[in-house]
Formats: sequence, C-alpha cells, structure tokens
Amino acid sequence: MVSSDYAIQVRNLTVSYGPKPALLDVSFMIQKGELVGIIGPNGAGKSTLMKAMLGFVKRDIGEVLVFGKPVEQTRGMIAYVPQRGTVDWDFPVTVADVAMMGRYGHLGWWRNPSKADVEIVDKCLEMVRMSDFKKRQIGQLSGGQQQRVFMARALAQGAQILLLDEPFAGVDAATESAILDVLAEAKKAGITLVVVHHDLATASEYFDKLLLVKQRLYAAGPPDLVFRQELLSEVYEGRLKVFTDLLKG
Amino acid sequence: MDTLYTLFIDPLTKIYFLKALAGGSIVAIVCAVTGCLVILQRMAFLGDALSHAMIAGVGAGYLFMKLVFGVEAAAGAMLVGSLISAFITVFMIGFVAKVSRIKEDASIGIMYTGVFAAGVVLVSVFGKYIHIDLMHFIMGDILGISDFDMVVSAIVSAAVLSVIILFFRYFKITSFDPVMAASIGIPVLLFKYVFTGCVSLIVVSAVSMVGVILVVGLLITPAATAYLLTDRLEKMMALAALFGFTSILGGLYLSVWLNSAGGGAVMLFATLQFLAVLMLAPRYGLLADWQRRRNMVPQQVIEDIIASMFKSAKPVADTDITKYVEMKPKMMRNAMKYLIEEGLASGTDMYELTDKGRTEALRLKKAHRVWETYLHYMGVPDSELHEKAHVLEHYNDLESIDYIYEKMGYPDTDPHGAKIPPVYSDGSFCLTALYGFSDKDVEIVSVDTDKDVAVGDIVRIIHTDDGWSVQKDGGTIDLTDSEVESMTVRFLS
Repeated sequence: MVSSDYAIQVRNLTVSYGPKPALLDVSFMIQKGELVGIIGPNGAGKSTLMKAMLGFVKRDIGEVLVFGKPVEQTRGMIAYVPQRGTVDWDFPVTVADVAMMGRYGHLGWWRNPSKADVEIVDKCLEMVRMSDFKKRQIGQLSGGQQQRVFMARALAQGAQILLLDEPFAGVDAATESAILDVLAEAKKAGITLVVVHHDLATASEYFDKLLLVKQRLYAAGPPDLVFRQELLSEVYEGRLKVFTDLLKG
Repeated sequence: MDTLYTLFIDPLTKIYFLKALAGGSIVAIVCAVTGCLVILQRMAFLGDALSHAMIAGVGAGYLFMKLVFGVEAAAGAMLVGSLISAFITVFMIGFVAKVSRIKEDASIGIMYTGVFAAGVVLVSVFGKYIHIDLMHFIMGDILGISDFDMVVSAIVSAAVLSVIILFFRYFKITSFDPVMAASIGIPVLLFKYVFTGCVSLIVVSAVSMVGVILVVGLLITPAATAYLLTDRLEKMMALAALFGFTSILGGLYLSVWLNSAGGGAVMLFATLQFLAVLMLAPRYGLLADWQRRRNMVPQQVIEDIIASMFKSAKPVADTDITKYVEMKPKMMRNAMKYLIEEGLASGTDMYELTDKGRTEALRLKKAHRVWETYLHYMGVPDSELHEKAHVLEHYNDLESIDYIYEKMGYPDTDPHGAKIPPVYSDGSFCLTALYGFSDKDVEIVSVDTDKDVAVGDIVRIIHTDDGWSVQKDGGTIDLTDSEVESMTVRFLS
C-alpha cells in the first residue's frame, strides 16, 4: 500500500474560490516521518492547503499524491484534527464517543465496535492523558482537553499521516506540553505530521521543516533556512520589528 | 371516582380517541427521534420549509389525478406530490446556496415561501377542480385521522426509524464533524440527502395530523426537551421518543377536556412539557442553575480558607477563618460543606484540614511562591511581591505552575528565602513538605536508594526523632533525610 518515500507530494497546486486564487502553483514534498509546520499570515491559504491535502477542495490544476497515489484514492490514510472552533461543543457525545469515531472507518457498516477497538481507543486516550475523562461530555472540558480528545481520535484512526489545524491556538501550558509529547511519540512511531501553526516564535522550536505560505509557497525547508529576513518581511509585510527580534533570538 | 372515570377512562373507550392516540404516537415518536438530529444539525427551519412546500405538491397531485383520471381527492397522488415538492424545495435550496453568495438560511426562506406560494395560487386558480380545505391542511385533524393516513404513517415511520437506527453511527458522525467523516471516506453528502429525505417523509405524514404550522413543533419540541436532560445522543433519542408519546397522550386528553382542536392541544401540551423541563432539568434547568449560582462559593474563597486553615495548624472555628477571609455566614457554611464533601477538611464545629486538604494547601503555597519568584524575575519590587502573588496564586493549575517552575530552573526557594513546597502535578509530593501526616498508606512515586524501597511500593512511613522508618510488608526500613528528600509519594486516593 505504501509505495513511495514521500508521504505527501503536492505538484503545481492552484486552488481558487473566487476570481483570485487562494493557492497559486504550490509544489512541495513531505517525507515519511517528518514533523512539518505550515506557517503564514492570516488568509494566506494555510487552511485551503490543508483541505487540498485531504482532497476536499476542487483543484484548478495540479495534483496531490499521498504515498504516491492520488489523494482521492487514499481516504482514511490521513487523519485530520480540526480547529477547535469548528465543532458544536454542546453536541451530546462523550469523550469516549468522540475517540471511538476514529474507529468508524475500520468498522463494517453494521458492525459494532469490538473489544479490540475499545482497547485502541483506551490506549489513545491514555496517550493524550485523557483517560480519566471518558464519560465527560465534550463541552465540559477545557479547551486544551478538547484538543487532546481530538488528537486521541486521530490516533485511533491508525492513520500514517496526521494533519492538525492550529492545535496550539489558545491552549494552556499543560496542553501545549501534552500536545508536544503526543507529536513526539507519534513521530517516533513513524507517523508523518503536518501542522498548521501561527506562532512564529515557537515554529522553529517545534518543527523539523517549515512551509512558508502566502498564496504561493515562499520557502520550504529547515527552520533556519525559512527564517530569513527578506522572506519574512515579504510575507508578513509591515510587521517587521517582531521578526528582527525573532531572527536575533 | 365518577369524575376520574369521565376524565381519564371514558375517552379511551372512544374509537376516534384510540385511533388518534395510536396514529399520533407513531408519528410523534419518529418525529422526535428524527428531530434530535434536526436540532443538532440546526435544521429546524428546514422542517418548517418542507411542511409549507408540501401544499404545492398536494395541489398538483390532486389536480393531476382529477384532470387525467377524473379521480377526486386521490390521497396517494397527493402524498407522492407532496414528497416531490418537498424534494424539489430541498434541491433548490441547496442549489441556490451553492451557486450564489446567498447563504443557506436565506435560500431556505426564498425557496419554501416560493413553493408554498405556488401551491396557494394553484389551489385558488383551480378552485373549482380542487376541493382542498386549506384550513384542514394548515391545522391538521388528529381526531379525524383517516385509515389511509394511518397506514401510510405507520409504513413511513417504520421505514424512517429503521434507517436512523441502522445508520445511527453515521448520522452521528456526519452531524457532529462532517469534515472528519468525509476524511475517513463516509459519504457525507449522501447521508445528508438520505436524512433530508427522512425528514420530508416524516413531515409529510405528520401534516395530516397536526397541520403545516404545528408539525415543526412535533419535530423539534420533544427533541429539545430531551436535549436538556442528557449528554448522550442515544439517550436523547430515547427520551425524545418518550416525550413525543406523552405530548400526544396529554394533548389528546387536553383536547377532549377543553373541547379544542387536537393539533393545537398536542403542541400546547408539548410546549408546556418543554417549559417544565426547562425549569426543572437537573443539570441544564433554570432552577438548578439558579440554585448553583446561589450556593456557589468562589474557588478563590475556598483556596483562601484552605490557606488560612493550613497556617493555623490546629483545629479552627468559623470565626477564626473569617478573621482572615471576609465573607457572609451563609457562604461560610456553604464553603465548609464543600470542603467536607470534597474530603479536604473534617470536623463539625472545629474544623481541621485532612491530608488531602493539606496537600491542596501545599499546592496553593507552591503556586504562591512560584508566582512570587516569577514576579521577582520580572522586576516587580519586593514590597509588592506578596500582594500580587496573592492574586496570581489563584491561577494555580499545577501543570501550568510546574511549567513556569521548570522554565525558571527549579529554584528551591522564593525571593523571600521561603522553601517552595515540593508538590507535583501528578499528585505526588516530597515527605519533607508534609510533616506529621497521619498514619496512612502511601505509594512511592520516585525514590533514589539502594535499600529495599522501590517505585510502586505501598508503604507506611513514620517520622521519629531518630529519622524516617518505612514499614513495608511487615518489615521496617530506615531511611536517611537525604533519601527522603529525594523521594516522592502519593496518597492512595
């Protein structure tokens, strides 16, 4: 099934919603087991890029390959952790219910979750340190705990690639460290991780490789190559001071 | 006795009442179960739209049969017609929302009024061919339910209920997180259409009983009532079904007693039922919320009480505590009740912290001192440190405190030279932090010694004048101060 050294290959990808393209001629490759951050200013097309990697948006041109195969044929190989704001937190489901959703793709149409599925879910909740909250309705958790539940669900999917949309946005210190632990553990297990991230200050610390996106792909590579004055000032126009500090530090 | 008989038993002997009860219950139960998904997907408006759009189909179906076959009021054709018009409406709503910048709610508003209007015009223009009582259509007639309607409702209900039960898991995930559902290959759009189809079917079959206007209530109200009572979708559906049934039962009695329109009475009862639950629901009810607010003792006050009790080191009375922490007597009572319920304190008139309470006190102390250290680093003048840390110590989630502590390089003492208590976020602590805790079993969390004490051991530790002795499996092991300082333990909860 896995037939390529590259987990994800994006070639000449252009996506447009209106008359103006959201992404223009973006090409990059992500190797298996890499921890990659996607950075760029608001409205730069980061989320669109993520959706394209999931095969959710109509491409004008270009292709997205997952383990060498067109993305449309690889449903379930990529697990997606949504941004916190995108689900209804009053929905009547518990932590265990949500984590079990990760197994839905593996269950037969009529089959109920087996003992093995329950064990996998338990293990994944353990991994994100949420085992004590299984019966809790998801709205009654802190933002960080909610984020961890969704990571557990993604892990329960058993996918080889995880896509995370802004997992560090507005979380407390404890969750930040828990998420980093989970990322490190997933990486150890050979899972490829792609993370949309907005905080430049931590980006170089967290990720092996960065993709700097603003409609086009401005740079891709190790953080010290991407964090170059002229690149950042071009992409983040007018907010330079922060970055000069950042480059020094 | 006689009155009771007339009120409750007599209606049950009437065939029209029983028919209404049976037919109404079937429809109401399936409406309620379907309604759970409708409200969770925020589609309530769509239910309204579908019921209105039907009238065009009813008119068209009637007209078609009359003109082509000369059959008057062919119920089957009207039913098929109304389904077709419902589907067309749904399709048009989706189409407009997709191809233009008009959002879905506006699109619903445009399309259903349009189709409804077409129906009204159709019925009035061909008034001499079509003998439809618009009032009947709008109000429904649950007490005069026809055998045909009953059979159709039963079949439709069974079909819809089966679909929802069989695909329950998929409806759940596509309602909750459609993006994730799509990413694991679940045909989200298909389920959306199937579900909309189910809603159309059930709405069409319910209109004949309660009418266009009230059918949305049957779909939404019992489901919403159930939503206030549970946090599991499975339970919500079961409860909604129950409320659907009670709405019909209560509503029918109401209509007999008041001699009112059946549909109206049913929805009135359902609404009253909802309001009652809204008031009384144990978790999400207004009364419970009010009660909670009234009895709530701010966490900050609780923490200040614990800190003051820890300071005094011997049992204290209410009045001793109020010297340090200002509050009304009622709040004091609630606070002590809370502390005792949580196992943080014990006593009746004279209160004392339990071991759990004392570890909590240490946790607060650590937060206070870590914050002081942090503020000191930040250049806050020493004279202001205590006061500022006293406010900040209430931000004391241990994991966050440990994080700051780690970032500062694990200092032993705060800027005043006071020791930062060695308590940690996993609930473990160093024995030197908690002198004289009662004779209790503890679990070793970390230890550094050659002696026969290992992580995970359940032991009893006693502090004597000579040092520390650890009782394990009947034997006793002595530890030095430095070994104890390097060891952390946890109470067995």
